[in-house]
Amino acid sequence: MLKARKRGAGLLAAALAGALTLALSGCGGSDGTTAGDGKTLRLWHYEGPDSAMGQAWAEAVREFEKTHPGVKVEFEEKGFEQIQKTAPMILNSDDAPDLMEYNKGNATAGLLSRQGLLTDLSSEASARGWDKKLSDSVETTSRYDADGVMGSGKWYGVPNYAEYTMAYYNKDLFEKHEVDVPSTFGELTDALAAFKAKGITPLDNAGAEYIAHQYVYQLALSEADRSWVDAYELYQGRTDFHDEAWTHAAETFADWVEKGYIAKNSSGTKAEDAGVAFISGKYPILFSGSWWFGRFQSEIDTFDWGTFLWPGSDLTLGSGGNLWVVPKGAKNKELAYDFIDITMTKKIQNLLGNKGGVPVAADPSAITDPQSKTLIENFNTLSGNDGLAFYPDWPVPGFYDVLVSETQKLITGSATTDQYLDALQKAYDAGAPKQ
Amino acid sequence: MLRRVRGGHHPARRDSYAAFLLPGTLAFLAVVILPFAMNTGISFTDWRGVGTPDWTGLDNYRRLAGDAAFWESFRHSVAMVVAMAVLPTFLGLVLAAALFDYIGKHFGSRWAAVLRACFYLPQVLPIAVAGIVWSWILAPENGSLNELLKAVGLGSLQQDWLGDPDLALYGVMAVMVWVQIGFPLVVFMAGLQRVDPGLYEAAELDGAGWWRRFWHITLPQIRPEIYVVLVWCTIAALKVFGAVYVLTKGGPGGATNVPSYFSFQNFFEKTQVGYGSAVSTVLTALILALALIGLRLQTRAEDEDR
Repeated sequence: MLKARKRGAGLLAAALAGALTLALSGCGGSDGTTAGDGKTLRLWHYEGPDSAMGQAWAEAVREFEKTHPGVKVEFEEKGFEQIQKTAPMILNSDDAPDLMEYNKGNATAGLLSRQGLLTDLSSEASARGWDKKLSDSVETTSRYDADGVMGSGKWYGVPNYAEYTMAYYNKDLFEKHEVDVPSTFGELTDALAAFKAKGITPLDNAGAEYIAHQYVYQLALSEADRSWVDAYELYQGRTDFHDEAWTHAAETFADWVEKGYIAKNSSGTKAEDAGVAFISGKYPILFSGSWWFGRFQSEIDTFDWGTFLWPGSDLTLGSGGNLWVVPKGAKNKELAYDFIDITMTKKIQNLLGNKGGVPVAADPSAITDPQSKTLIENFNTLSGNDGLAFYPDWPVPGFYDVLVSETQKLITGSATTDQYLDALQKAYDAGAPKQ
Repeated sequence: MLRRVRGGHHPARRDSYAAFLLPGTLAFLAVVILPFAMNTGISFTDWRGVGTPDWTGLDNYRRLAGDAAFWESFRHSVAMVVAMAVLPTFLGLVLAAALFDYIGKHFGSRWAAVLRACFYLPQVLPIAVAGIVWSWILAPENGSLNELLKAVGLGSLQQDWLGDPDLALYGVMAVMVWVQIGFPLVVFMAGLQRVDPGLYEAAELDGAGWWRRFWHITLPQIRPEIYVVLVWCTIAALKVFGAVYVLTKGGPGGATNVPSYFSFQNFFEKTQVGYGSAVSTVLTALILALALIGLRLQTRAEDEDR
């Protein structure tokens, strides 16, 4: 009897010990690295190794290791969505890297800064001269106030490249069909009509992702000015989605779908497919961002192509690029600052420019590739004229999905332009800070 | 002495059983119960995912009740139940009976096994892979389906299968029937293994054709499997996320939104974590209720059989 009870108790104790062991191992102790050892820089970014940024930053890593003997760079390439969706949780934990690329704007970097998850870089920006290398337009996305609104306040991020939208065009198709490259809005609509008359859909589009609603925003910008943009993006004034600019944009876009300048069946198309379609020579024009430039340079070899800014508009989509941010919990902040500094040097900036990126601080005379030279000169013109108007999805978290969803309805004819603008107004008002 | 020894064993056995259940119980608590409780708690807050949540009581649930997008996503869930539970169960029954009672008999059990494996294959493919392949097949231009229609002279039937708001839900449904059908098929064929073959032989001798054998022998014999499959697939339909995420992202214009994608959107993309939690809490409660009802029906059916 005694023996039997002992055996049962033993089993219970063993099982309990096993369970506790499992539980304890699940907790996961510290990985043992001491804070601030100055020996490792943990870096995360999400640019492909072949992209302009990927190549420039790989060179920056080599430069960093050269100037910091004994310091190792622990680089992890992350997916954009991976960082975008999990960053708040990671930065709030002990797993935060020392330096990472993060998306700019009130709903992203602004959200993190408001929650105190990012290091204030203001004194470093001043001491290392980053603030002088960036124009006002580019600088806007680096600074956030106490409410996480960009444009003023402390520096929480540093862009070392920029981006903007333009029309990419297939020169061969223009020549073949004897269509002139437009320099005014009227000439643009003439060109669209001319292509359509030849049975070609002139404008490449992707309704399932950003490309469609960037057409709409650009059409609005062509009737807008800086104060309109500041009201929309920085909440400095009221945004009325039934004003002249938005009404022109929605009606023109719907009209272009009706006329076949934009394919009605593009509502379910992704950006990647639109880019591939342009690369294959199917569409004469793709209006999209500089992030395609390097890829078009390397992949388009069957026709000649060029770019032009949206005709008749002083404003276009664009901003400083994604930001270098230093998490509040970073263990080696000095190393992070040094790395940012290297990415802002002429050497890295010029490399970025020659690889198809848009540098913020390059020496224009050092850009040897003719297409890249045009890309950067156009950017410098826009930036100098305060023509960067950010992106339409920035003011409100989740507005990207709303813009995609509602613009799809405009493409398929499920919604009238009034319904479209009503829906945008409702979503914008629901998410924008209360005035 | 004999009696005392027997009495002594009884408590030991009880203790032993409890001991073995402990690790599983702890894991279940840590992985299922605790996250669910946390999620339910968050659903009563206004929270952006960082910082301190603000307690707001039932605000998220009141908002949910009046949210047209939420109710539309549930209506789409009904379509998913049709695509992932009703149709696969029906088609699975017919296919299982055909493979077991016709193909297996006339062409050999090896052929039946090969065909069963082919039908089951979509179940083991990662949904992301299947989704991307189907988005290529269903693409409006250069998609395989539209190119095939054009090649056989039916170009006028070409559609924007995933980009037309009137068609997109049916496009996703068609993909889900294909994904799901292998599961009921395999379960039903396993069920058919235990049917007495003598029943089929006797019926055949009495002149019953395939359809009558299906209706009077196959169906009644595998009723328990039918209940299991219906409950399982209905729950899977309510939870569907991956296919919608890969194929349409709830588009175009919300035409294929489903509750779990709606929850995901609010939780991660709009950073309305409290609201996203409320959606998933409602979804979980509904699924639990359906599971309990399913178990009750199954138990009752088994009792009737006894």
